[in-house]
Amino acid sequence: MIRLENVTKLYPGSVKALDDVSFSIDKGEFVFIVGGSGSGKTTIIKAIMREIDITSGQLYVEGVDITRIRRSKVHKLRRNLGIVFQDFRLLNNRTVYQNVAFALKITETPRRTIRKTVPMLLSMVGLNKKANMKPSELSGGEQQRIALARALANNPPILIADEPTGNLDPQRSWEMMKLLQEINMKGTTVLVVTHDKEIVDAMKKRVIALRNGRVVKDMKRGDYVHEH
Amino acid sequence: MSIRTFLYSLTQGINNFFKNRLMTIASVTTITASLFVVSMFYCIVVNLNFILEEFEQNIGIAIFFEEDVVENEILTLKNQLEARDEVFEINYISEEDAWKTFKEEYFKGREDLLKGFDNDNPLKGSASLQVLFSDISQQKVLVGLLQEEEIVRFVRESQEVTDIVQNVNSLVTYTSVVLIVILSIISLFIISNTIRLAIAIRKREIRIMRYIGAKSSMVRGPFLVEGIIIGLVGATIPVIVIYFFYDNVIQKISTEFFLLRDFLVFLPVEIIMAQLLPISLIAGVVLGYLGSRVTVGRYLKV
Ligand SMILES: Nc1ncnc2c1ncn2[C@@H]1O[C@H](COP(=O)(O)OP(=O)(O)OP(=O)(O)O)[C@@H](O)[C@H]1O
Ligand SMILES: [Mg+2]
Repeated sequence: MIRLENVTKLYPGSVKALDDVSFSIDKGEFVFIVGGSGSGKTTIIKAIMREIDITSGQLYVEGVDITRIRRSKVHKLRRNLGIVFQDFRLLNNRTVYQNVAFALKITETPRRTIRKTVPMLLSMVGLNKKANMKPSELSGGEQQRIALARALANNPPILIADEPTGNLDPQRSWEMMKLLQEINMKGTTVLVVTHDKEIVDAMKKRVIALRNGRVVKDMKRGDYVHEH
Repeated sequence: MSIRTFLYSLTQGINNFFKNRLMTIASVTTITASLFVVSMFYCIVVNLNFILEEFEQNIGIAIFFEEDVVENEILTLKNQLEARDEVFEINYISEEDAWKTFKEEYFKGREDLLKGFDNDNPLKGSASLQVLFSDISQQKVLVGLLQEEEIVRFVRESQEVTDIVQNVNSLVTYTSVVLIVILSIISLFIISNTIRLAIAIRKREIRIMRYIGAKSSMVRGPFLVEGIIIGLVGATIPVIVIYFFYDNVIQKISTEFFLLRDFLVFLPVEIIMAQLLPISLIAGVVLGYLGSRVTVGRYLKV
């Protein structure tokens, strides 16, 4: 599904955000990527979705070497990826409903399908009562759930969430994890970036640990790895 | 581009057109002004050409003959000239005709003064051929040929008038071309700027669209549509204005230049519109498309 081979990313100013990173994620897996702030977690996501170009190495998504696809074909890659961004990336001048519908609109989904799908997605993330509110009128956790609903709108084979529990209290965090697990059980490959030690420890899923842009541990049923 | 992308671009483009009100008004106004000037020049050029054509057909040459030339020789030359392409019309004016017109013009009401001339034609030997041209630029060549003819005494030509006519014609045409180029560049510039602003306003939305998998045609489409609409609206307004004010202006010119009214024949508004409307609309669409296309290419690298 996703395979990184010796991926290195140098940001301008020679910041080595990723240093010879290799791992591969199979179809249907649930994987945590953990690591301290600045360890390169978000950079991996940006590389996978081709928001940034990697400096060296190979990166495959669904068998395609994404470093070689042309700009005009990047949308095909991104339609395979549902991404909940660390900063949500919602349209603040549109309603919750419109934000989710937007993802379907731009993939040329028929109106009728959109009208059926959006309420379904909103009730799945528990936001159907707030469909007509603007994201700015909602809490951070709720905004995260809009982002999740939008990420799932086109039924992508891969779901990536960057710090999906970063803004949530423990109870909400667990609800979010349960949701992600349900999605994973339906066959979606799920990749979760997090700081949340408790959750990682409790879930007993595969854990890839990063430090200073390097993979320091990759465990099948792991715990949160401390940096020291 | 798929139908859905097209429809999306269309509605989104129309939305943008109305949302970015200030810039839209500014650019539509500029294009309207530019195309208005261009359209006016078009009207002037077309009418001037029409007037000059009419005029050209009324300025010709007159061929006069040696004393001993008989009517038959003149008529033979007339037939030869008639066969030429550039000759539009040729008339034989005999001595008698000439005298008759002269009498009518200068002795009208004073016929008593003509008593002594009863049987005498004082214009003996003034028979002539009046030649009108369909292509006035050939006049010089023909005059040259005629002066070689033995029977021809002299040719009275109106070369100066012809030259002036042709100079005015080309001056106006060149001016229009230069104006059209300058105003097109201004229009392109303003459309391009409007679209650049529209892109800047939607920068965040565009980025998000790309993140969640929008095709580049879907990201670019609305801006191309917006540019085309600006061009179209900017092109339609001057055509409408000209349609409603054309007759008034013609009327004004005709009364203002009363003395020239015989020369000032104008084309009817319908004929002007038949060409101006499609030309303007196409120009609007092309300017709008090019203006937005260039900007989208430069600022929307998707
Ligand atoms: N656009 C950029 N230009 C230069 N350096 C960058 C850029 N983006 C990130 N970095 C640097 O790359 C390193 C990795 O950043 P990244 O965002 O991947 O960290 P992260 O693990 O997601 O951290 P956090 O947990 O705080 O989100 C950091 O040192 C960061 O300062
Ligand atoms: Mg991050």
